[in-house]
Order: sequence, then structure tokens, then C-alpha cells
Amino acid sequence: MYIQRTTNDNYESLIHDITGKVGKEMAMIEVKNVTKSFGTLTVLKNFNVEFNQEGVTVLLGPSGTGKSTLLRCINGLETVDEGDILVNGRSVKEKKNLRDIRLDCGMVFQRTVLFPHLNVMQNLTMSPVKLLKMDKAKAEEKAIYYLKKVGLESKAKALHNELSGGEQQRIAIARALMMNPKALLLDEITSALDPEMTSEVLKILENLAAEGVCMLCVTHEMQFAKHAASRIIFMDKGSMEADVTAEEFFSTVRKENERIAKFLNFIGE
Amino acid sequence: MSFYDYANLTGNDAMQFLRAAGVTLYITIVSLLIGSILGIALGIVRCSKNKAVSALPLILIEPLRNSPLVTQLFLIYYGLPMVSSIMLDPYPAAILAISLNTAAFMAVLVHNSISAVPQGQWEAGLALGHSSASTFIHVIARQAFRLLIPQAITLYISQLQCSSLVALIGIMDLTKLGQNLALRTLKPFMIYGIVFLIYYILSSPLSKLARDLEKKLSFNY
Repeated sequence: MYIQRTTNDNYESLIHDITGKVGKEMAMIEVKNVTKSFGTLTVLKNFNVEFNQEGVTVLLGPSGTGKSTLLRCINGLETVDEGDILVNGRSVKEKKNLRDIRLDCGMVFQRTVLFPHLNVMQNLTMSPVKLLKMDKAKAEEKAIYYLKKVGLESKAKALHNELSGGEQQRIAIARALMMNPKALLLDEITSALDPEMTSEVLKILENLAAEGVCMLCVTHEMQFAKHAASRIIFMDKGSMEADVTAEEFFSTVRKENERIAKFLNFIGE
Repeated sequence: MSFYDYANLTGNDAMQFLRAAGVTLYITIVSLLIGSILGIALGIVRCSKNKAVSALPLILIEPLRNSPLVTQLFLIYYGLPMVSSIMLDPYPAAILAISLNTAAFMAVLVHNSISAVPQGQWEAGLALGHSSASTFIHVIARQAFRLLIPQAITLYISQLQCSSLVALIGIMDLTKLGQNLALRTLKPFMIYGIVFLIYYILSSPLSKLARDLEKKLSFNY
């Protein structure tokens, strides 16, 4: 099933579009027997998982267990060595699919990567105008809508170096949402921020989650996982240790699974 | 004309200085224009992910960067007619030599500027759905251009000064005129002082521009 992408002018409806109207009959993202190595280090081993377009899925696990690599493989920023990943039925192995896959899966990175030669408004509108052929005035209107959502409508003309780290990440989230993604891939987006900025960003994510935005997050923020996640996947050494609801994870699973208990104790949870 | 008139500068000499400055500027501007276009093309090819393709421009860049401009000038003006039927007049020979030399250095600057844009900027562009070409045009090239400009102006200043070497193949530029007038007037300090001043007047606005642009265009990632 392929989803027709449009320059939907009624962008408020996109929030609903992102909540699961599409792809109900099949998983939006299917990771099939994926193996990925960097040199001699295998970070994903025959990894299998499916993500539907619903709720917030949090990927947990110690550093170096392949969580970020999984997100990067889904987005086509890393190639898979074996297996395949299908996003709305399109294989990431086919180069011609990458544009649509990336439009379906907006990504925000650990290190903020706003375009420094553009101001906030231009950061938000450049891609919709160039790629989705959206009218510039409409793109700006839509940008204001998302800037309000992330509480930064007053910063439309600011340059990236006039923003705090937290503000930059919020702008990066708004920029990803501007492309009408079906899901957001968030790769440890608060790990480079101080606690105050982290809470700013998490608040925005919780608001988006409450509105039903579909997210796939790599994070070490357990409070966010507890409050916002509908599903938690625990990864260790490139494999899946647990794939459960947040409630189960923090109650029964942590008691039964020694590895998970050790991890949660280690990070002070 | 008395010896006194002969040994002093006249109004006609002032006109000659202006004309010679025009020659210096003409050779420099044409060479920099050709050299910049060629250099930008070579610099972009140097950034190719294909190692064989990216190595190709080095065939031109490395010899030109590692030999003196004056040698390149003599090779083109005196050497080329010895091994081929190509016999260039002084002007085309000078423009060719400075253009090629500029292209080599410009290619390195372009390559360095593009490489200086962090990998994260590529990934951010790609992750938004841009193709590699679109990411390059809308994200990378624009940042690289801002990094390039101040360095390119510094190169231009250097090449303006190196253009004085064209005097060695008989072109009546500022330096050659200075030589002639110094021999005629026997006042080398005054004559070369004037030549020095004219070069300074031509170069210093560019230096200021480079400094200003460096401040204005710089950004931290």
C-alpha cells in the first residue's frame, strides 16, 4: 500500500493524519531479519520488529546496542547488510524509495542540526517549498502553527545561534512536522541538553504524544517513557530483550528480567 | 626635452600609471574569473564519493600548487612553442597561467569549504526528504559558499600581487612600468614607492572586504 503525499493545506488535519488513519491493515514499518555491522562490530543481529502508526514507542537499552542504528536504518541513513526494512511497503534498499520513506518518517537527531545559514522560519519552510512545492505564504502560515505548538512563535526570525539547545531541538521537531510525516523518529534528542532544556523538549513531546502523534524514540528519559510511551522495546547487544507496554515494562518485566532490572537500577530508575 | 625633464615624472607618466594599473586589473580580473569557474568545478569534482573521480582534479591541482607561478608562466609562454605549434601572445599566456594557478588554489578552497560543512547537515537535509543533489544545492553549497568567500578574497588579493610577474614576459603592467620609469628617472625609491602605493590601493579594499565578510558570514555549528 502506497500513501499519496500531498501538500495538504489543512495542516491541522495532519496531526490527525499522523495518528493512525493510514496503514492500519499493515505495519507501517517492518524490520525484517536486519543485520548491520560496522567493521567487525555487529550492532543489529537478525533484528525483527514491526511498528504501527500509533502512539509512542520508546527504544531503551544500554549505549551501543543498536537503537540509534535501527532508527538510521529505517530512515535510510545507514544501509542494512542483511534483511530488509519496509516503510509503508517500500524497501529502504531501493534508492528510489528513500525520498518517500524519509518524508514518511521525519527524523530529529541527538545533535541539533538546524541549517545555520537560514533563520528559524526559513529552516521550517525551505523543505516544504522546495520538495512539496507548497506555496511560500502557506508554508509560513503552517510554520507559525507549528512554532506555536512548540512554544516558539516569537523566534521566527531568530538565527540558530540566538537559540538555546532546547529551543533548537524544539525547532527541529517543528521542522520535521512541517513535512507531514506519518511518524517521527527521535534519536536521543535530549541527551545533549541540560535538565532544564530537557524538560522543555519533553513537555513538547508529551503534548504531541497526547495529540496522538506517532513517535519512535530512542531515549534514556525514563519519566518520559513512563508517561508518554505506549510501547517499550528493550534492546541489548543488537537483539530485542523485551517488547511490551510501558506499564508491563516498569512493573512485571523489570522484576522478571535480570538484564532489564540491572539496566534500570544502573540509570537510577 | 632636458635631462631634468627626462629624470622627472610628467603628466604623461601619470597617465601611463593609470593605463598600467588598468592592465594589471584587466589581467587579474579576467584570470580570476576564469580561474574561479574552473576551480569551483574542480573543487566540486574533488568532493565526489567515487575515489577515482575525486582524484582526477589532482592531476591538475598538485603540479600547479607545487610549482612557482613564474615557472608556469615561462612554461606556457616560452616552453609551449618549443613542443607544439601553440605560440601564445603575452596577454593570453599571462591570463592562462594565472587562471590555471588560481583554479588550482580555488579548487582546494572549494573542497575544504564543502568538507568543512558537518556531516550532520547532509543527514538533516536527507532526513527531510531532499535528494543528495538537492541537499547539496539548498543546504551544503550555501554554507560552503559562506565559508569560501573570505578565503577566496584572500586568494584574489594574493593573485593580484602575483600578477606583477607578467612583467617578466614584457606586458606593460604596473611593475613593468615601474621598472622602465625607475631606469629612466634613476629614482627607484620614488617610482617603486608609487607602484607599491597603487598595489596597496587596489588590494586594501579587498582585504577589508574579506575581514568584514568573515565576520558577517561566519557561523558556529
